[in-house]
Amino acid sequence: MTLLFDTQYLFVRALKKLVRNPILIFFSLFQPIIFLVLFTQLFSKFVQAPGLFPSGVTYLEFATAGILMQNAFSSALQSGTSIVEDLNSGFLQKMLVTQVSRPAILIGRLVTDAFRVTVQSAIILGLAYLLGFNMATGLAGILLTLFIIAFFGFAWSGISLTLGLRTKSAETVFGIGAFLTFPLLFMSTALVPAGAMPTWMQAVSNANPISFATTAVRDLSLPDAFSLSAEVTSLAVIALIAVLTMGATLYLFRKVVS
Amino acid sequence: MPDIIAVHDLVEVYADGTKAVDGISFSVKEGEFFGFLGPNGAGKSTTIKILTTLLRKTSGSVSVAGYDLDKNPKEIRKVIGVQSQETSIDPELTGRENMILQGHLQQMRGKELEERVNQLLEVVGLKDAADKRAGRYSGGMKKRLDLASTLVHKPKVLFLDEPTTGLDPQSRVTVWDYLEELNKKDGITIFLTTQYLEEADRLCQRLCIVDAGKIVAEGSPAGLKKDIGADAITITVQDRSGAGDKTATKATARKLLSKLPAVMEIVDSEEGVTIYVKNGGLFVPELVRAFDKTDIELISINISTPSLDDVFLKHTGKRIRTEELVKEVVTGGFGRRRR
Repeated sequence: MTLLFDTQYLFVRALKKLVRNPILIFFSLFQPIIFLVLFTQLFSKFVQAPGLFPSGVTYLEFATAGILMQNAFSSALQSGTSIVEDLNSGFLQKMLVTQVSRPAILIGRLVTDAFRVTVQSAIILGLAYLLGFNMATGLAGILLTLFIIAFFGFAWSGISLTLGLRTKSAETVFGIGAFLTFPLLFMSTALVPAGAMPTWMQAVSNANPISFATTAVRDLSLPDAFSLSAEVTSLAVIALIAVLTMGATLYLFRKVVS
Repeated sequence: MPDIIAVHDLVEVYADGTKAVDGISFSVKEGEFFGFLGPNGAGKSTTIKILTTLLRKTSGSVSVAGYDLDKNPKEIRKVIGVQSQETSIDPELTGRENMILQGHLQQMRGKELEERVNQLLEVVGLKDAADKRAGRYSGGMKKRLDLASTLVHKPKVLFLDEPTTGLDPQSRVTVWDYLEELNKKDGITIFLTTQYLEEADRLCQRLCIVDAGKIVAEGSPAGLKKDIGADAITITVQDRSGAGDKTATKATARKLLSKLPAVMEIVDSEEGVTIYVKNGGLFVPELVRAFDKTDIELISINISTPSLDDVFLKHTGKRIRTEELVKEVVTGGFGRRRR
């Protein structure tokens, strides 16, 4: 019970901070919106290349899933900066001398980040709709998409929190996040289909978690693409990542707060 | 009165081998205002961190409010309030929200919490600013909010790590008054660390003087000073002819002083020369006579009963002297502004 209450209190605290600094959400939305508006225009003729893209699909329809995942990935990798802030301001210490449930400090953070990335994704999806995107599986598809994104964000936030606790430096967390995002984004099926890549890059892309998550969402959005087995596989991969990152985060958190 | 804090042979060795706390033992009685006085790096903060469950000790035993630190850290957290050296409030929450959150984390709810928060905000004089964001508070207000938020759950023992460092003199006195009231009226046991002699002198009923991880002296401020058994006399001097330079004049003065049998010790101080004698008042005529008919003129004589700094000096051979450091910083600041 304490865990639930404490998680809720810390979630509310983080939400208040977020609402009082809305500019932060706009900063992180800037990049996906540029991708959505400009990049999709830039690539709009590529879909006509024979045999690479699913037929009858616009580039916007193809890339929206990837842009959503790119945003989820890079936002999640920044989430460690907030725990560094609490660590350096002494607020974390102040919490730790109270009876607060220890896991609630972490879970409160993760729930906040998942919430935040879901809101951002809803905004991106809304904008994509305005530009002509359509979710083939309808409302159910949209809800499942948001769920996958939240789950995907949850998994990667753990990595970032771990880094934050370990390095105690917001700059490092930020730097590593930025360092990972672009290579992993371009070596995934987020913006181009696997068939358009050189062979070695295809190998990377096949093992790239962004590809798995993108496929899970893309199969929901493109017409006649949905397959239950592919969907389950993608979700299983994300779940596996989440288990690993959560384990590492909890272990390190214990060491730091002991 | 039973011991509310009991520490026996506490040791903290950091990963790099530094012995931050080197086998200290002490106890604090319930309702006592107790202090740790020492310079930076003496191990004060480390001790507080161990006692408040934040840092794992290397060895030794600690009990707080009757609970063993190793077995019952959770019970200890219920009955202690802790203010760390850096002000740790959330700048994006209002003063009231900071307090309520702290209460929530200490398992308080509803009406009881609300009333407690209102009461505390009033006491620390933040009632009118309660719904402003804490980030916009002045330094003194932030400190008071920080202090108030550690009191929401009515702790039995309050740990304060240098509570007035960085405060202007006026805010410092306000905090002192409030701490005294907490201790006297509400009977809260207070454990305070400080590097300010004046603070330890005024607030603590009993204190330990610490240096390099060890307790070098323990007792009431008055008792410790009495043990010195001497008054300090600080004189300033100048050359009658106005010719000799300052250092030379001082050296001559020291030579003159060293011939007087009553003088126990001579120390150079910033203003002039400080000597220690059994009874300062009775010694003055002799002092004046000693400089008579010499090239050195006495400009001022200042007698003071021993300070805690003298106690520290006696036990460690060093001075704490933070007040002077602060003064330098302040003047430095003004100098820059003028330019």
